[in-house]
Amino acid sequence: MTFEPVLLRRTSLPRSDSIDVYLANDGYAALARALRDYAPGELIGLVKASKLRGRGGAGFPAGLKWGFMPQSDGPKYLCVNTDEGEPGTFKDRELVEKDPHQIIEGAIIAAYAVGAERAFVYIRGEFFQGIKSWIKAIADAYARGFLGQNILGSGYDLEMSVHRGAGAYICGEETAMISSLEGRRGEPRLKPPYPAEKGYWGQPTLVHNVETLANIPHIVNHGAEWFASIGTEKSTGPKIFCVSGHVYRRGVYEFPLGISLRELLYEHAGGVPGGKAIKAVIPGGASTPPLTADQLDITLDFESLEGAGSALGTGAIIVLDEDTCMVDVARRSARFFAHESCGRCTPCRVGTQRAVDVLEAIEAGRGVPEDLDRLEALCHGISGNTFCPMGDAVVSAIGGTLVRFRDEFEEHISQGGCAAPA
Amino acid sequence: MPNVRVTINGVEAAVPANITVLEAAKFAGIEIPTLCDHPAIEPIGACRICLVEIEKQRTLQPACTFPVFEGMVAHTRSEKVVEARRFVLDLLFSERNHFCMFCQMSESCTLQDLAYEYELDHWKFNRPMPKFSVDASREYFVMDHNRCILCRRCIRVCDELVGNGTLGLKNRGADSMVTADMDVPFGESSCISCGTCLQVCPTGSLADRASAYMGATAQIDRVKTRCMACPVGCGTELIVRENRVIRVEGDWDAEPNKGLLCEIGRFVPLHEKRNRVRQPMVRTDGDWTEVEMEEALGLMNEKMREAGDDVATIVSGFVTVEEGKALAQSPGAKYLMHPIASEQSTAKQADLDEADLFVVVNTDMTEDYQVAGFAIKRGVRQRGARLLLINDAADGEAADGEAADGEAADGLGDWAMRRFGPEDANQAVSIARGAQMPVIVAGPDGAKLATELADQIPDAKVLIYTPGGNSRGLYEVGFQEAFEGQEAAVYHVVAGEISRISPELLEQLRQGGTVIVTTSYREPWDEVADLIVPMPTTFEKSGTTVNADGMVGQVVVGVITRAVPTNEIFNSLAELAQ
Ligand SMILES: Cc1cc2nc3c(=O)[nH]c(=O)nc-3n(C[C@H](O)[C@H](O)[C@H](O)COP(=O)(O)O)c2cc1C
Ligand code: SF4
Ligand code: SF4
Ligand code: SF4
Ligand code: FES
Repeated sequence: MTFEPVLLRRTSLPRSDSIDVYLANDGYAALARALRDYAPGELIGLVKASKLRGRGGAGFPAGLKWGFMPQSDGPKYLCVNTDEGEPGTFKDRELVEKDPHQIIEGAIIAAYAVGAERAFVYIRGEFFQGIKSWIKAIADAYARGFLGQNILGSGYDLEMSVHRGAGAYICGEETAMISSLEGRRGEPRLKPPYPAEKGYWGQPTLVHNVETLANIPHIVNHGAEWFASIGTEKSTGPKIFCVSGHVYRRGVYEFPLGISLRELLYEHAGGVPGGKAIKAVIPGGASTPPLTADQLDITLDFESLEGAGSALGTGAIIVLDEDTCMVDVARRSARFFAHESCGRCTPCRVGTQRAVDVLEAIEAGRGVPEDLDRLEALCHGISGNTFCPMGDAVVSAIGGTLVRFRDEFEEHISQGGCAAPA
Repeated sequence: MPNVRVTINGVEAAVPANITVLEAAKFAGIEIPTLCDHPAIEPIGACRICLVEIEKQRTLQPACTFPVFEGMVAHTRSEKVVEARRFVLDLLFSERNHFCMFCQMSESCTLQDLAYEYELDHWKFNRPMPKFSVDASREYFVMDHNRCILCRRCIRVCDELVGNGTLGLKNRGADSMVTADMDVPFGESSCISCGTCLQVCPTGSLADRASAYMGATAQIDRVKTRCMACPVGCGTELIVRENRVIRVEGDWDAEPNKGLLCEIGRFVPLHEKRNRVRQPMVRTDGDWTEVEMEEALGLMNEKMREAGDDVATIVSGFVTVEEGKALAQSPGAKYLMHPIASEQSTAKQADLDEADLFVVVNTDMTEDYQVAGFAIKRGVRQRGARLLLINDAADGEAADGEAADGEAADGLGDWAMRRFGPEDANQAVSIARGAQMPVIVAGPDGAKLATELADQIPDAKVLIYTPGGNSRGLYEVGFQEAFEGQEAAVYHVVAGEISRISPELLEQLRQGGTVIVTTSYREPWDEVADLIVPMPTTFEKSGTTVNADGMVGQVVVGVITRAVPTNEIFNSLAELAQ
């Protein structure tokens, strides 16, 4: 498949992050059009019609979420989620570093559509380049009148600023992000109320992933029909895939949703080094269950992956070749989640620790057959019982691996350790 | 609030629509275990012990946060629920050190009770048992991080109820640790030792030094009574084992404190180091001799007769209404040991939790009447109520809100919107006019001004605090004047447990006259007295008190002693005098 990139169209241009390059390539045309030709409600209708779904992991329909924002006059906010902590994911970073104005333009249109008066960019602290890029781009957008008072003479005002996180994965979860923005401990809040009802300081708040917002200017420019014609019936539009692991050409790839995994890996990413076979593919970041080698013909869209017991997640595709130890994969995931648990609820805070204990023991050859029961009990006990969705991510990663590669776990136990080549 | 119909474990009930499943279960008489939740604070749904099964919900839901809905059908002890709770307990027991036999709270621990209830008879997961510190830097209680289950009750009561915000969490995930201020030892923190965290901790993590190992739940009795240390008049529960008070807790059901206490009400009585007076004592040639009560009574009568009417009876706030009535019949002048005001409260202390504006006149509520001070801090922090301070220290400045040196002494200073000197009180009036529910709070020196201000501010009510737990009740039975150095031939000081005594009073008693002191403790009276008569402590007597807002409180006997009740002694004294 050849596909003219939409979101990554400008990223290979020299100085693609500058406002001048952006303006020279249709930049801010959508904003002008949105402010001139659309009432806020019409924009919501447009995004609904495009069937755009969130790119932050959960895949919630964007237009629906905009529609949840109350029409009241009180203060409303937009949060641009640049926390990008999901292991294997590096698409938002690409957009922020190389084409920040595309996100800003989408953010302004979204803010205008829902009547937000202020936008916060929440970026993870480790993205040094991204932070600089955001700050510069926002300053330039202010200087050219795209932000601030009376944007492009429309009478609409929007302020935008950048907030650095301190490196907690959980702060990518929308309510934890809002707590962190408010200066509190970065921990999820009870839902409902959802941020659209009570978000930043209790006011209606729209939270979007960077990539989701980057799609907005294109929908305004080319229409909902054009957008919906890309991808599948239910998974519309272009998607940035982050391919990593055992492939020749790791990196970001933009394709319509619904591209086949095999095509992406073998035709575009160059296949597996050494001609080795693939053992597993984690299709949507560390919190999605792995696919097995017999599932490579699956198409990458929300519905097929859910049908296969996994998820599209963030579109972070981690390829694991035949030499990979799946116990080690599970152990690393468990360590990640144990380290990133916010600590609020017992099943996640302690359950992930116990999962690490068990997996470390199995990996080191100290495993006993009951350890698999323990692991299952942990997954079963965490699943659905945590305060926030992170618990389910843990179960997807660990439980998903155990279910599909149970024989490897058993082998580790019966043979006293890992047989895979180091 | 309209009702909704719910079915919990087959029991149908109509419950208010705005409550949680946990509260609805309580309505239906069904108990659901909780660890992080506590009725006095906002639920956070953290520990997950309260998970219940709700039909049509994909997953189990925490009862403490999940709202009821019309037609809800819930199961609180289904197999799934029990399994999930056992899982949570297995995890909690694996996280830190829970070897109960070495724990001071064993058999008084909610976590342990649940382990028995859910039949945790073996360790399911491995227990790495990391070693954490035990912070014993606080005077009255110890924090053992090794027993902490991170339920955060302590943190939340300190913030939500006490308004102190001392406690917090540091680190993330399994490294989370309860901490004080910017991670300093608890004893060096902004902790005011009110002990509320101690009272709500569901494990052995926070343990009281005085009662550790002293009595488990099954061995103790709880006696509801009143604190007499200040005019807030908190309801307390004495934790009594074998006729000894081992701990004092705030009574959750009591007005005005709703479970809270301060250091003075909770800890000071149990950490008393002074010597108890058990037997009357007479000083002869500088030496104390114990005498029988009859002899002491005779002596008192004799001295008072000799003096004619030149007797000054001076009572502290630890004297009950009944004791005061009996004393009122004795000869001579009647004085309160503390300053008093003739103005009366028109507000209830419960109004502090509704007020949108406080004007505090000439008192430091964080020092003198602490539990009422908590309510003011809560109001400012949580409801955004405004706070205006009027005091002499702010004289002649501060219209701009700048703190003057003198005000550092006022613990509410940081919370105040504006501070004024008394002569600028009119400025307070103009700010207060817009308030919906202004409450003016004053100490004895501010009572007059407070009452005048209330006349000028629409809907304003006043609360007058005068020192002494029962000064208002004693005022009503005839002690209407404060002792300010009036001379007499015989001084009868009825002190009770009072420990803060003005040096001027002691100096005057040292100078001359016959000094009779009825007191629970020897010190400092043995320096100045000629005759000392024993008096039961608040724990040992019954009677009534009247607090700052006029509420009558019952003092109930917690500990039985052989001592003669003071009112009987005073009645006999009055009879002898006839
Ligand atoms: C543990 C956890 C971590 C998350 N991290 C991120 C993140 O780094 N970036 C992101 O955009 N969304 C993240 N999310 C999803 C957000 O909560 C939220 O759904 C998303 O930002 C909404 O944007 P979208 O509708 O545009 O996808 C995370 C969710 C969870 C549960
Ligand atoms: S599942 Fe619980 S402990 Fe884990 S991140 Fe969410 S709230 Fe925190
Ligand atoms: S805190 Fe409770 S459960 Fe833990 S050791 Fe003490 S008594 Fe046992
Ligand atoms: S010290 Fe007690 S109340 Fe505080 S978090 Fe630990 S267990 Fe809970
Ligand atoms: S009591 Fe409900 S989650 Fe802790």
